[in-house]
Order: sequence, then structure tokens, then C-alpha cells
Amino acid sequence: MGLLITRSARALVTLQVSPREVLNQIYVIGVQSIPIVLVTAVLAGIVTSQQGGYQFQGAVPLYVLGSIVVASVVLELGPVLTAIVLSGRVGARITAELGTMKVSEQLDAYHAVGRDPIAILAAPRILASLISVPVLVAMANLVGVLAGMVAARATLGLGYESFLYGARLFWHNWDLFYSMTKAVTFSLAIPIISIHMGFRTKGGAAGVGRATTASVMFMILTILILDAFFPPLLLQ
Amino acid sequence: MIQYLDLWKAYDQPVLQGVGFTVEEGEMFGIFGPSGTGKSVLLKTTIGLIDLDRGDVLVEGDSVYRGGKAALQRARHRVGYVFQNAALFDSFDVHENVRMGLPEGELKRMKRVEATRRIWDALELVNLNPAEVLKKMPVELSGGMRKRVGIARAIVGRPGILLWDEPTTGLDPVNTAAVERLIVRLSNELKVTSVIVTHDIHGGLDMCDRVAMLYAGRLRFIGTPEAFQESEDSVVRAFVDRAVALAALDEVQV
Repeated sequence: MGLLITRSARALVTLQVSPREVLNQIYVIGVQSIPIVLVTAVLAGIVTSQQGGYQFQGAVPLYVLGSIVVASVVLELGPVLTAIVLSGRVGARITAELGTMKVSEQLDAYHAVGRDPIAILAAPRILASLISVPVLVAMANLVGVLAGMVAARATLGLGYESFLYGARLFWHNWDLFYSMTKAVTFSLAIPIISIHMGFRTKGGAAGVGRATTASVMFMILTILILDAFFPPLLLQ
Repeated sequence: MIQYLDLWKAYDQPVLQGVGFTVEEGEMFGIFGPSGTGKSVLLKTTIGLIDLDRGDVLVEGDSVYRGGKAALQRARHRVGYVFQNAALFDSFDVHENVRMGLPEGELKRMKRVEATRRIWDALELVNLNPAEVLKKMPVELSGGMRKRVGIARAIVGRPGILLWDEPTTGLDPVNTAAVERLIVRLSNELKVTSVIVTHDIHGGLDMCDRVAMLYAGRLRFIGTPEAFQESEDSVVRAFVDRAVALAALDEVQV
């Protein structure tokens, strides 16, 4: 995995990466993921708003819900749920695609014609993910908060003004930086793990299946473990 | 010339155990052996696709395993590799697949028209109509056509050495004969050194100047096709007899 990271970085720095392939991967990783990321964000925003409202009613002023929804979505649900969804949609696809190339000797064929598969296959995917995932997380944050705000008004009668008042009351600009730092971290973890697992696939079609399953599990676990390190490191 | 020097490789069990021999320039060299005896692994060592436990391969004097990156790259540019199942790049069309066979440095210096001409020539050499197949994706091609595109990719860079990994596997008898004729024609026209890994013993014996047999990771036989057929070695005998029986069975089924 260390070799994959250093050789990908070298390919990116020395401009060995095809811009056309990067754009293609941005479309696959970023644009095609927009619907599932937004649906997930909407549902997360609604559920957070509903559960917060249920807990606060009669005990805490309801406008505090604005803060809870924004903090939950921006600090945690936006980046983590987006990363988990992308592990399934993008990471699994990358592992299966590269794993199939491995077992059908296409990776060997790249070496045979004197090309570096890391520069051609790995580096564009990593760069595309680095560009796409933070944008997707930003979209998920925005849509999740809006969904929570609409749900609070529709079911709890909390007006938009009150929701936004509560949101502003406890808002720190640092929270956005925190969210984006998570997004960037996950944007590297997903392609690096999925590419690594794809490149080391063996054993035909069954091997591709095993590698893909292992890759998704490994990605989700890694995301949750990395996520656990963020509060002590960045929220003190 | 290719020199295989005392090659050792083991995965869960030994695959190559001290294999060493030389393929002379311009020679057509066949490697036979039952499945799982390390034939394809041996072929892949020629361009460093397998990490060896011990040993080295010299391609025109360049050490593949000890010569560093530059020597490996030179060796790879001298060699065209035809993979067992063609190994065409799924996401590229035929034009891009064959274009990948042109060495990167050469491609950068080459005018687009020249590159296209080389690609057309390579496809015509393998009896494909470029106008018909250039824009097709690998998934749209038949097994025989995929194989030919794989061969075109291997020869477009004008290598001095061609490596053929089971070139007729998965083909029907008509396509098998066609590919075998193609191998002989290309080897003669391009004047290349060829190493052919095959389990098609009859095709191999007809085509090759010398043959070797790998058995349990060791070199069991090396010599002329005539000597191979007349060998008294029990393993070689059993392999030849079994191949004859299977060929007879194939003829009955056809």
C-alpha cells in the first residue's frame, strides 16, 4: 500500500496522469454519486431533526434543534455517511474493476507494453476522489441541514427563523473546517484501499467477489476508525 | 537471445526449480508441459512480471531482475507479449489497445499519422480489416478477433522477440490452425525470436525449431521436435502419448 501511495503521488507530481482519465473518474466517482449522496443526506437530516424534536419537546427550547441538526450533519453525518455510501458505490466498483483487470492479466499487459498501471489506473482515481468527495460532502451537509429544517417546520412547527437562530447561536466556523478535513481524509482512504485490494486480487471471478467484499468491509471499518480519531485531535 | 538463468519460484509449492536454458536469436522455441507446471510463470519472467525467488533472465544481454528499471524497460520494449486470453484493455477500443503497444517514448516523437499507419499495418498483418474493427470495443469482438488484436498490440512496436502464452487456447480448430499459420508467418516476416508456451503439442512441434518440456517445475527435456517425439523419457513419452490420444479424440468430435 505504501508503494501504491508513493508511486501514485509521484505520477501526480510528475504529471504522468491523463487529464481525460481524471475527468472521466470525476464523472464516475463524483457526478454519478450525487443522487445517492443527496438521498442519504436528506434522510439523515430528517431523522436527526425528528429525534431531536422528540427529545427536546417540553424540556429544552425547540430552537436549539437548529444547532443540533447543523452540528450533527456537518460534524458527523455529512462526511461519515457520504464516505460509507461512497465505499459501497465507488470503492466496490474500483476494487471489482481493477480486480477483474488483475485476474484477466490486463495489469500484466500494462507492464508488458512498458506502461505503469499505477499512473494510468490508480493516480487518476485518487485525484478524482480527492476532488469529488469534499464537494459531495459539502453538498450533503447543505442538503442534510435543509432537509432537517424543513422537517422541523413540517412536523414540529419550528419556523425557519427559529431554526436558523438556534443554528447560528452555537455555530463555529471551525466546524466546517473539521467537516472538510474529514472529507479529504476519507477521499484518500476510499480509493487507496479499494485500488490496493483490486491490485492484489487473485483467483478468478470468485477472487474478485472476495476482494470486493473485503474491500468494502475494510473501507467502512477504516472510515469509522479514522472518524474516532477526529474529536480528540481537532475538537479540543 | 534470451537466457533463463537458474530460475526458482515458489508460491504455496515450488513452481520453478532451477530452470535454465537459452533461446537463440531468430529461433522459434516451444515450451510444453502439463497444466500447472510453471510454463506461463516461466514466460512471464522474461519481462519481469513475476518476482523470482532466485535466478535472472537476460534479454539481449539486459538483466531483467538485476539490471534496474532502465534495463527492465529496455527488455520490455524488445519483447511483444501475446497473452493467453488476449488481455485487451476493456475500457479502450481496438485502436487505443493496439496504440498502447507502441513504446511511450517513440509514441511521443511520432506524428499522429505515422502512429495510425503503424496501427493499421499491425492489424492488417494479423488479417483484420482496420476500418471494420478500429472503433470496436473488446467486448464486441469474437474470441479469434480478440486474439488477433492482442497479437497486433504485441507486434506494433516492432519487437525483436515475441512471447506467446497459449496462443490457441479457447479457439476452435479452424481458428487454431489460422493462428498457428499466423505465428509462423509473423515470425518469418518480422524475423523475430519466438517463445511459445502451448499444450497443443502437434502445432508446437510443427512450428518450432526447438522445444522444451517442463515437468514439476523442472526442465525435463530440451531439444529438437524430432528428438522430443523419439524421446525414451517416461514422462515425455506419457505426455506425447496422451496428447496423441487427445488429438485423436478431438478429430472424432469434429
